[in-house]
Amino acid sequence: MLRFVGGRLVQIAITFFLFLTVVFFLFQAMPGDYTKQFIMNPRIPPAAREALKVRLGLTDSVWGQYVNYVRNVFTGNLGLSFEHYPREVWDVIKERLPRTAILFLVASVMAFVWGFPLGRYIAWKRGQTLDYTITVAGVLFYTIFTPLLALMLLFVFANQLGWFRTGGFLTPRLWLTPPSSPQSIFIWLAATLAGLGTWAVLARFATRRIGHPRPRRLAQRGLVVVGVGLAGLGWWASGLGPFAWDIVWHMFLPVLAVTLIAFGGDMLLMRDSMLEVIREDYITTAKAKGLPDKVVRDRHAARTALLPLVTSFTLSIGFVVSGGIVTETMFSWKGMGLTYLNALLIQDYPMAMGCLIFTGILVLVAHLVADLLYAVLDPRIVY
Amino acid sequence: MTDRTPAQYAITPLWKMRLRLLARTSRQNWSLFWESRIGPVGLLIIGLFLLAMVAHPILISTVWEPRVYDPVMGFDRALIGRHPAPPSWSHPLGTDPIGRDVLSQLMWSARSAFALGVTAAVISVVIGTLIGAVCAYFGGVVDVVFMRLADLVMLFPFIALLMVLRSVLPLTLIRLALILGALSGLGGITIVLKSQALTVKVKPYIEAARVAGGGSWHIIRRHIIPNIMPLTFLYMMFNVTAAIFTEAVLSFFGFLDIRMSWGVMINTAQQAGYLGAFGHYWWLWAPAGAAITLLCFAFYLVGRGLDAVVNPRLRRR
Amino acid sequence: MALLTVQDLTMHYRTKLGGVHAVDGVSFAMAEGEAIGLVGESGCGKTSVAMALLRLLPDNAQILGGEILFEGRDLVKLSEHEMRKVRWRSISMVFQAAMNSLNPVYRVGQQIIEAIQQHLSVSEREARSRVAEHYNLVGLDPKLMDRYPHEYSGGMKQRAVIAMALACSPKLIIADEPTTALDVIVQDRILRRINEVRAEFNMAMMYISHDIAVIAEVAERIGVMYAGWIVEMADTVSVFKHPAHPYTIALMSAFPSIKGDKRVLAQLPGEPPNLLAPPSGCRFHPRCPHATAECVDEAPRLEEIDKGHFVSCWHPQRRSQ
Repeated sequence: MLRFVGGRLVQIAITFFLFLTVVFFLFQAMPGDYTKQFIMNPRIPPAAREALKVRLGLTDSVWGQYVNYVRNVFTGNLGLSFEHYPREVWDVIKERLPRTAILFLVASVMAFVWGFPLGRYIAWKRGQTLDYTITVAGVLFYTIFTPLLALMLLFVFANQLGWFRTGGFLTPRLWLTPPSSPQSIFIWLAATLAGLGTWAVLARFATRRIGHPRPRRLAQRGLVVVGVGLAGLGWWASGLGPFAWDIVWHMFLPVLAVTLIAFGGDMLLMRDSMLEVIREDYITTAKAKGLPDKVVRDRHAARTALLPLVTSFTLSIGFVVSGGIVTETMFSWKGMGLTYLNALLIQDYPMAMGCLIFTGILVLVAHLVADLLYAVLDPRIVY
Repeated sequence: MTDRTPAQYAITPLWKMRLRLLARTSRQNWSLFWESRIGPVGLLIIGLFLLAMVAHPILISTVWEPRVYDPVMGFDRALIGRHPAPPSWSHPLGTDPIGRDVLSQLMWSARSAFALGVTAAVISVVIGTLIGAVCAYFGGVVDVVFMRLADLVMLFPFIALLMVLRSVLPLTLIRLALILGALSGLGGITIVLKSQALTVKVKPYIEAARVAGGGSWHIIRRHIIPNIMPLTFLYMMFNVTAAIFTEAVLSFFGFLDIRMSWGVMINTAQQAGYLGAFGHYWWLWAPAGAAITLLCFAFYLVGRGLDAVVNPRLRRR
Repeated sequence: MALLTVQDLTMHYRTKLGGVHAVDGVSFAMAEGEAIGLVGESGCGKTSVAMALLRLLPDNAQILGGEILFEGRDLVKLSEHEMRKVRWRSISMVFQAAMNSLNPVYRVGQQIIEAIQQHLSVSEREARSRVAEHYNLVGLDPKLMDRYPHEYSGGMKQRAVIAMALACSPKLIIADEPTTALDVIVQDRILRRINEVRAEFNMAMMYISHDIAVIAEVAERIGVMYAGWIVEMADTVSVFKHPAHPYTIALMSAFPSIKGDKRVLAQLPGEPPNLLAPPSGCRFHPRCPHATAECVDEAPRLEEIDKGHFVSCWHPQRRSQ
């Protein structure tokens, strides 16, 4: 196991290095190189220009610059952002990454929670009209043009019904004199969500031993409601409740959009995976053992069919930045995707490179996690 | 069939036998495809888009005055000052902010969507099939190199990357098709097709062909590739969806050098500031968005229908 | 009283091309503790009969008629809920592909305990010791029960599957090609073990195989199936010594023997019939060397030609081998 992780880490390092190289030379090849803007500026006196050249490292050869860049990245120095000058790129990412992460994590979990049982259900009822209807709906959600979905959601829920805001991260009017910075409130919000998630999982575990399904479900739901109530009480007591609620309010539509798209994919994958598992002999054996249908479906078929879903779930987390570009733009949600797009549009190259590099890291880590998770879930795989 | 003597078989020319065999398997496959129910629906939608594509030049040369209805250069002077105009008899889907007919643009753009989707998909599966077959057959260094390359390519978020690439070289439709095809061909598809080719490689008929003195290339060309072809075809459908979607997203953000496409149509509306008004100017984004969605949807359905043909484990029985 | 009486069982598979007559008018009976064998080519309906007994037929299968009386109750008429109680508790099965009949993601012992706890109200600990007992019985180390299926060898998996079939002490165990995938030595050892256990616990056993030699070793009576029919049924010795149906004779002579005179291995001409449109009259007539007009026109019935020796043929042969 340790050997496997070690080996994978070496592989990851090599791949990451190649990725860095490609990103560097890609930006190097861009016309209208940002450094030239300083160098060519006629108002800068020649002496200062030479000093600037040395400071920017432009007197080095391309290779020298490259080595410098790689060294900087590996020491955690991503440079300064042009747009947010004099903030560091890393500082901006630190602010934006949680917003994207929360948006996509919440949506992915919700999509999984809905997609997994529904996919399981329609696979069990295969060939019936219901199966076809839900499959087609799933394909539609999966292939819908994201801006179209966003526009439709905005049109219906924000414009027509007026339930939600049309976009942004918060309502400026409310935040004229905030008791705390939006960022710290958001981080607390994220912590609350993580806590509630853990609480729900724990509640499930704690009630596992209750024999009858009905009291078990009741106990689970009761515990979850208590958890949510406690969290709400905590926020109310802190006096920050309205502010936190404002952020949640703004998050609603983007989360819904991402959930719908991811839900289609999860459900279809689960259905196909189930259909393959159902044909296995051990499912017949389970039926022959006289187990109830539900037990055969959930404990025997779904458990094995879950494996590819977990992989795809983990891998999708790695692509939040590129996936976020469209959604975050449509809902003006200032996360990594929107930051990346803006950086490209206004030629804030250090920022754009920083975002790309971060995407690379996320994807690599997601791949590793997927491998490890697979080993945990599938006893056949031993590293 | 059973009452034929060997002599009669000998008389039947080989091509006739092959043709008959082909006819029979395609009939079987078609009925499986038909049974999937969703495959034919996708095919029907694709057919409608093809129809729109063919109808456009006919309409332009008969009833639609090119000066008014040209998808890129057209302008309706009769409605001057009132663009974007809502749907009317002369413009069934209205006009865009600079006075061009939306329906005409919609129909015209089907052509570029098909061209892009099909080109990118064909390139990707050709690359994927070749590399997959070669990697599976030879293994060793070739295999390692291409598999690592595939890992690296899969690491890149395509859309984010193409947005950068566009400042290095202007992305025309053809270039986009080539790049998308190459990227997805070298990436995930290679891995899938290689694992399929590996299962083919261990089949007895490969051994038989080798014993009979078949060269490596002969075996790859005549035995391995034809046997991974069904899967190749399946992935082609999914790739068409991916390519059309990517093009639409990129041109929606105005990152492509394409004069007209569904994505460009929504981009035009956004540039002119009409997207914020939602329902009031729905004809500027809804038809184009629906067209992108429907065509992606259709190719994906066809892909799933083919899946039922190719993958026996997904069949109903 | 017979433990199991199958009366005129008829079952079709609905397909796009029409109904496949997989099992047609099959009748036989089994006494408690008896071991019988069903033999026939693949596709003759022997597995369909087994699956019909457990009512585990695929969705497109349909029992058109007949009854399956098990301990006096007709299984065909039971509700799904009642049938679930019969499965494994009264009738269990060793499946054709034992290799794949264990779920790869659960420990083997757990899968057996699951079956025990479904049917008998015992604690986890009692169930475990029961599994350990049965592991000993089939010659497996009880320590292995906490391992996963992929950690077992082929022979070990087969034994585990047999232990699983014994777990609830059922009245009848159906073994569908229980040893086909194993090498000959292991096969023999396992068959012997099954037979000993069966005798010890007085369980009835139904073996299903295409290999009449395997069946002969363990079964007291043999039924020969052809194209959805039972064409001959008798005790093992009679089937071997005086086979009466031309198909049985052909089946017997397809096996080489090291005893007796040198003889040519008979080959049946033609192929098994297409069950979408089975031949008229006797289903064997297109391949039968003794077929007459009668065979083409009318189907023979299963008749007793000797005590306990049933044959379904217009021209039963009187030949000893």
